[in-house]
Amino acid sequence: MDYAMRAYLVKRLNRFLSYVLLIGVGLIILMPLLAMATTSIKQMSEYNVWPIKILPKVPQWRNFATVFTMAPYLKVALRTAGLGILVTILVTATSSLIGFAFARYPVKGNKPIFFIVVGLMIIPYIVVLIPQYVIYSRLHLTNTYWPWIFNAIAGNSLFIFLFRQIFLSFPRELEDAAEVDGAGPFRIYWQIFLPNAKPVIATVMIFAFSGVWSDYIMPLILLNDNRTLLSVKIATSYSNPQGIWLITIAMAANVFYIMPLLIAFFLAQKHIIKGVITSGLKG
Amino acid sequence: MEAAMMAKTRRNLNRAQRRTLTFYLFISPWLLGFVFLTIIPLLIGFLISFTNYEGLSLVNLRFVGMANYIRAFSSDAEVKFSLGKTLLWGLFNLPAWLILSFGMALILNQNVKGHGFFRTLYYLPSVVPVVAAITAWKVILDKNAGWLNGIISLFRPGTAIGWLSDYALQGMTIIAVWTGLGSGMVIFLAGLQNIPDELVEAARIDGANSFQVFRHITLPLMTPVIFLQLIMGLIGVFQQFNLPMVLTQVGLSRGAVPPRQIYLYMIHVYRQIFISNRWGYAFSLIWLLFIGVALLTLVVFWTEKYWVYTERPDEGW
Repeated sequence: MDYAMRAYLVKRLNRFLSYVLLIGVGLIILMPLLAMATTSIKQMSEYNVWPIKILPKVPQWRNFATVFTMAPYLKVALRTAGLGILVTILVTATSSLIGFAFARYPVKGNKPIFFIVVGLMIIPYIVVLIPQYVIYSRLHLTNTYWPWIFNAIAGNSLFIFLFRQIFLSFPRELEDAAEVDGAGPFRIYWQIFLPNAKPVIATVMIFAFSGVWSDYIMPLILLNDNRTLLSVKIATSYSNPQGIWLITIAMAANVFYIMPLLIAFFLAQKHIIKGVITSGLKG
Repeated sequence: MEAAMMAKTRRNLNRAQRRTLTFYLFISPWLLGFVFLTIIPLLIGFLISFTNYEGLSLVNLRFVGMANYIRAFSSDAEVKFSLGKTLLWGLFNLPAWLILSFGMALILNQNVKGHGFFRTLYYLPSVVPVVAAITAWKVILDKNAGWLNGIISLFRPGTAIGWLSDYALQGMTIIAVWTGLGSGMVIFLAGLQNIPDELVEAARIDGANSFQVFRHITLPLMTPVIFLQLIMGLIGVFQQFNLPMVLTQVGLSRGAVPPRQIYLYMIHVYRQIFISNRWGYAFSLIWLLFIGVALLTLVVFWTEKYWVYTERPDEGW
């Protein structure tokens, strides 16, 4: 066999194996989502059978109605969404302003402070949250939503970083021209920089909302059951009076639970992945 | 009158001073948050670690010196146990995640058709909240009727591995890799695309085969990205709390006891506070973890010069 022929075959084989691997791993990736979809329309008696039946005999669509009757799903979902929207607006506003300052004001103290901002990203939230809890409980702020508001107003390291990166890329002339026209710093930020950062705004808003929506730890530690958020509610509801967990109903609840995030992801996935790359490569 | 005075002072400041003032004004929300939401809580936690604070009354509050720290090293066997489990968790999770996400990035980087589709597909689990992910994985990892044991049973009938009990650490690794594969891969992929094509082509012309290109060009140029991922992963390993916590509580209750296999360090800390009311002791454990992770990170940073390729362009303003 001559060299070119061999090289060609090796290349084809390589390509073939690549696809086998890509599709194989893809199927594994999809498996839990498939499990979620099929379990949510099963009866409990169909869930625990051996040998396994992937699909139910009769799809139990009413599981999706039971989600709302067995637990106050709608009430807690609206509460979580409301808090999520409030936090998203606040944290996007402050983080963009802070990011703007870091990007456009290379004054004394800028670099060292920014180093701390980025450095804080490596401290996991739980380590700060537990001491915060001590203070909040002394101030009677546990079982309220103030901790979320405070955190949002203080901005978020990752979001500040993302805004700084995009604002750094804007040309100087943009700022100078506005300044000559007599625009103050806040107007320059609000009317010139922010409108040109829409992809980052979208990314940050999705990250911020899904942060509140997905988070399990803050509601677990800070809120009692009467004010808790959706993640904890779903995890600890849906048991029958005998104390047996109805995983089929819980799964139907989870289908509703992940829907807003999946929709947001498919609408803005390009921006989201870009955001992950920016933070991962330079953070 | 006050406004007039302020206007006067503002006029008297020169441009540089005004800009400095604006900068600090704009970042003030972060500065306040940094002081009141990070520094002060951490300091208070540090002080509490030298007391017998129980979370409620301050009447019996006493300074106990190093007693909490001594206790962590001597009389609490659970510290050693949970630390061991945490190390094991890192040993399972970190290499699996690094190798798989790097491997998938290498495959996707060969300009395969459907590149964007696979990237989206692999990233999908990253947006699934941890509660939903674990509920879904319970169907697959269940001991008696789980899909994974079902698949294994095709080859070895009667398999009943407790992926969420006796082998919970392995089960949790599967879930963690599933969740993290996409974000890891996306970052490696971006790193791979930064490698100049000319370098690879030049090596090919010199007669290097695929393996040689990987070994002598791709891998060395990727070491900075691998290094960064390793550091972040390592820090994450020791502070893992979310996964074992949710894995324990989903379908049960807030007070459920975690399986022994996933009794990680932070779980032990959490239980000291919220189950045993040993606040002072818990904070000494948190500070010990802090110091430990900081030292470990320094050690990894020290190894940087032996294996990480550096060619840092100036960032500039």
